[in-house]
Amino acid sequence: MEAGIRGWGVYVPRFRLSAHDVATLWGYDSRLPKALGIVEKAVAEEDEDSVTMGWYAAKVAIRRAGVSGEEIDAVFFGTESKPYAVKPSATIVADALGVKKRKLATDLEFACRAAGEGIRISIGLVKGGLAQNTLVIGSDTAQANPGDLLDFTASSGAVAYVISSATNSVATIEASVTYVTDTPDFWRRDRSPYPEHAEIFTGEPAYFHHIVSAVKLLLEETGLKVTDFDYAVFHQPNGRFPLQVARLLGIPQEKVIPGLVTPYIGNTYNASALIGLAKVLEEARPGNRILVATFGSGAGSDAFSVVVNEAVLEAVNKGPRVSDMINSRVQISYGEYSKFRGLLLRNVGG
Amino acid sequence: MKLSVPQFWRVKENQYKLIITVCGECGRKTMFKRPVCPHCGSSKVEYVESTGVGVLESFTKVYYKTNSSEDRLPELVGVIRLSEGVRVIGEIVGVREDELREDVKVEAVLRRYLSDDPYGVIYYGIKFKPVLTH
Repeated sequence: MEAGIRGWGVYVPRFRLSAHDVATLWGYDSRLPKALGIVEKAVAEEDEDSVTMGWYAAKVAIRRAGVSGEEIDAVFFGTESKPYAVKPSATIVADALGVKKRKLATDLEFACRAAGEGIRISIGLVKGGLAQNTLVIGSDTAQANPGDLLDFTASSGAVAYVISSATNSVATIEASVTYVTDTPDFWRRDRSPYPEHAEIFTGEPAYFHHIVSAVKLLLEETGLKVTDFDYAVFHQPNGRFPLQVARLLGIPQEKVIPGLVTPYIGNTYNASALIGLAKVLEEARPGNRILVATFGSGAGSDAFSVVVNEAVLEAVNKGPRVSDMINSRVQISYGEYSKFRGLLLRNVGG
Repeated sequence: MKLSVPQFWRVKENQYKLIITVCGECGRKTMFKRPVCPHCGSSKVEYVESTGVGVLESFTKVYYKTNSSEDRLPELVGVIRLSEGVRVIGEIVGVREDELREDVKVEAVLRRYLSDDPYGVIYYGIKFKPVLTH
């Protein structure tokens, strides 16, 4: 039995911070946003966090899947911005959505690829007969040290997928592999509010090596060629890396651009590549094959081969589309961004 | 009203979802899950979960607030008529005041209500945002 995607949902906050404003405020070269391939990033409001955004994406995914909370056997919550250091986010979302109590539920952490890992675990559970449907959420309010390069891209957003048997699915996951190593390209120590990163080291030995390795493994295992894919979606730390990794793999830009969302909403971390996949699902035709490769620092990549089924056409209209969320935007100042993300030190309470 | 952690845990279904009490005697619908009908006092009640979709009937801007939620001031608060016919008051999020109009279609979203302090429990509950249109 093969596993598949039964439903998907996305959430992108409407408020956007211009990369030009970040460059101006912190004294960067005005050409840097273009070099990073970033126009603006989505910013969550003060009362939003990975739980609230994940809840919305999951609600839409469940609606598109046409399942009830009683039919979901596992909930996996991939994030690197948990509201609690200790207390699962998966249980809050599950209770708020009415998912049954007899279930597997846990938070996963592997930088930006924890949700990808959740999908791989779900494939195993579904294929092994231990779950009929699982809910996988990737949600982050990504942190960035103000003025750091990450300030241009670290954004907020969420994605959710219901994984079930391929016979019930809008898209079949025909193959998947994971490639991981110990690579210190990006990290956040305990009690540190912001992550650190190894600058240029995050590229070659981390992002490019792991994605290329995972994709090559996938091609070896399936016998597929890159030309067999109609679309390619990669993790999107900025707007440039996905195009560069595509070039390394011999994939033309035209197959990458439909799923490239970071230039308009920033890097949503655990939701990044998977929002790109959702956008492609909303535009693809039955029979199209999609290459998806996540990436998480630390480091690892999951590569998936996804084939779109006829049922996708009906499911698209059961929830808001990614393109509508990208286009529904309100620009904010750096001051509002600071207020929204709690970057200002204030005396409150009393 | 600020709730203790056990109080919140007991009523969290009413915080996380829009539960409507439907009276089996007088037939009236009331917001939130209640053991008796507030209109006729009957305990013959049933509960249905709202779709969360409704229409914004009116709204205002609030500058004063207690309960450690000052970070969001000023906030927009509105009266929403849910598709099931009952009204509920809620905060309106995800929109600028100058964009907001009466009669706009809104949907329920889960948001943070308040947090005791940086180390306390986070209280989540329902607010409303305009429905995204094509």
